[in-house]
Amino acid sequence: MELNAAGGYNQRLRSLFERCGYRRYKMSKFEEYDLYASNRSFLPSTKVLTFTDTDGKLLALKPDVTLSIIRSFRGDGLEKLYYHENVYRESEVGFREIEQAGLECIGAVDEYCVCEVLSLAAKSLGELNRPAELDVSHLGILRELLKNSGIDEPSIKTAVLLFGEKNSDGLQEFLKRSGASEDCAEAAVKLSKLDCTASDAPKALGEILSGLVSWERLQLFCDTCEFLGREFPNTVRVDFSTVGDLDYYSGIIFRGYVEGVPQSVLSGGQYDELAARLRKNARAIGFAVYLDLLKPLFIEAQEYDSDALLIYSDDLDPDEIHRCAEELRSSGKSVLVMKNEPENLKFKEVYLAKKGGAKRVG
Amino acid sequence: MSDKTVNVALPKGRLGDKVYEMFKAAGYPCEALENPGRKLTFENPDVGIKYFWVKPSDVAIYVEKGAADIGVAGKDILKEYSPDVYELLDVGLGKCRMCVAAPSDFRDDYRKTLRVATKFPHVAKEHYSRIGRDIEIIKLNGSIELAPILGLSDVIVDIVETGATLRQNGLIVFDALFDISARLIANKSGYRFKSRRIDMIKENLQKVKENCDD
Repeated sequence: MELNAAGGYNQRLRSLFERCGYRRYKMSKFEEYDLYASNRSFLPSTKVLTFTDTDGKLLALKPDVTLSIIRSFRGDGLEKLYYHENVYRESEVGFREIEQAGLECIGAVDEYCVCEVLSLAAKSLGELNRPAELDVSHLGILRELLKNSGIDEPSIKTAVLLFGEKNSDGLQEFLKRSGASEDCAEAAVKLSKLDCTASDAPKALGEILSGLVSWERLQLFCDTCEFLGREFPNTVRVDFSTVGDLDYYSGIIFRGYVEGVPQSVLSGGQYDELAARLRKNARAIGFAVYLDLLKPLFIEAQEYDSDALLIYSDDLDPDEIHRCAEELRSSGKSVLVMKNEPENLKFKEVYLAKKGGAKRVG
Repeated sequence: MSDKTVNVALPKGRLGDKVYEMFKAAGYPCEALENPGRKLTFENPDVGIKYFWVKPSDVAIYVEKGAADIGVAGKDILKEYSPDVYELLDVGLGKCRMCVAAPSDFRDDYRKTLRVATKFPHVAKEHYSRIGRDIEIIKLNGSIELAPILGLSDVIVDIVETGATLRQNGLIVFDALFDISARLIANKSGYRFKSRRIDMIKENLQKVKENCDD
């Protein structure tokens, strides 16, 4: 039952991405370790499972898909790709295999592409048919504001962490201590408290940021917010606690939440800086859906392990036992056939296999 | 239980009692909690709140994993474990400092690895890596002040409230790392779907705090 529901969601995602012309990107389980070693901070965990190949090369079980996709980009035009892969990451109890689906748009990414990817992220959450929210912010704007406040690079990173915690009081105190200019610090604190619908965002952002960051960049973000407000009025919110690593993310950044799952189930953004680090002259935007986090949503509470238990004794032929079981199954029941009643399993009905048919005994 | 009931993890102990008094003053009383018996969770459906007591160091785990929507945890715990939660308000209770302390005659000998005893290994590691000092961490779970007295460590990194325990044991503060107080934290996903209620609780707690400050 749960596998069908999860499989159905995976199928709907695939169909959603393919309807927009995204091509499936299939990758090997292994990649050269160097790719991950030089971009450790892009990965959710710095530990990678490695082994030596027969030719002496150090390989890794892939902890991430985005890096491989960007590396494979040839550098011309625009690529729109989606994937459904397992990645291998460290968890609290050792390494785990994690199922992920997502998409990447690389190359000549323009404002339309940004809107398309955000719209696919919102629709991916919509396919879950539960209350869901996509939170959007813009790391480029945030970084520019903090830079214009006059604080140094390490302080910008600390301030971004405080944004991520929604810790407005801590941010105000930190910016004051770091010698940030008053007007930018005041705007930063207001921005850290901003949490509004995408439609309300352009006005609010204009009031907070006007004259403090590049007008063109702000205008582009406001246009995107207006689009999102029109298309997804109940799903998208603009919330500047949505942050990421400044070394990789350069523009719009977003996280998706669904009711019933305590972590974000979708994460993405514009990562032009990562593309530049991999020496690709390209812009890039994409997102991943963490399918393993969604699995509990697809598991319905089951009162019984099987509809029926069929108990048989040694004096019956296998043929007769089989006939009894098939007769019960023909009425749509799931039937477990055992010689003795198993402990710790629950059944709606219990039958004894007899010559000429099953007899209900419980 | 209503879907919009806010689950609150309170830290057991003196701090937790004060935190509950603050919630009560903010308009979220719970009679069941004041007469606990053998129950573990305490609900007041009239104001849509459900409390439970947990070990102070576990509050952040309950909130991060979504078993609680909000909770109150010390800044020391948040710095040590860096849970992925929102830190919405400094509730102003449980004020103290994270400090490096050592015997009063201690002199740091840079030729040697510094032995640091602490309950907060991440905090200690971060502090000393920032100043480039080579250290060995000795992780203890209590009676940290004993470590330098018995020669187990050179210094300790620990919470200092009044400094009385340090003084009684011949130790002094060498460095104050950061101020600590209790913080209202929220689960990131839970906040998305109960934001109005959680923001209201935050505002009401803020008012209580301001009244106390006055």
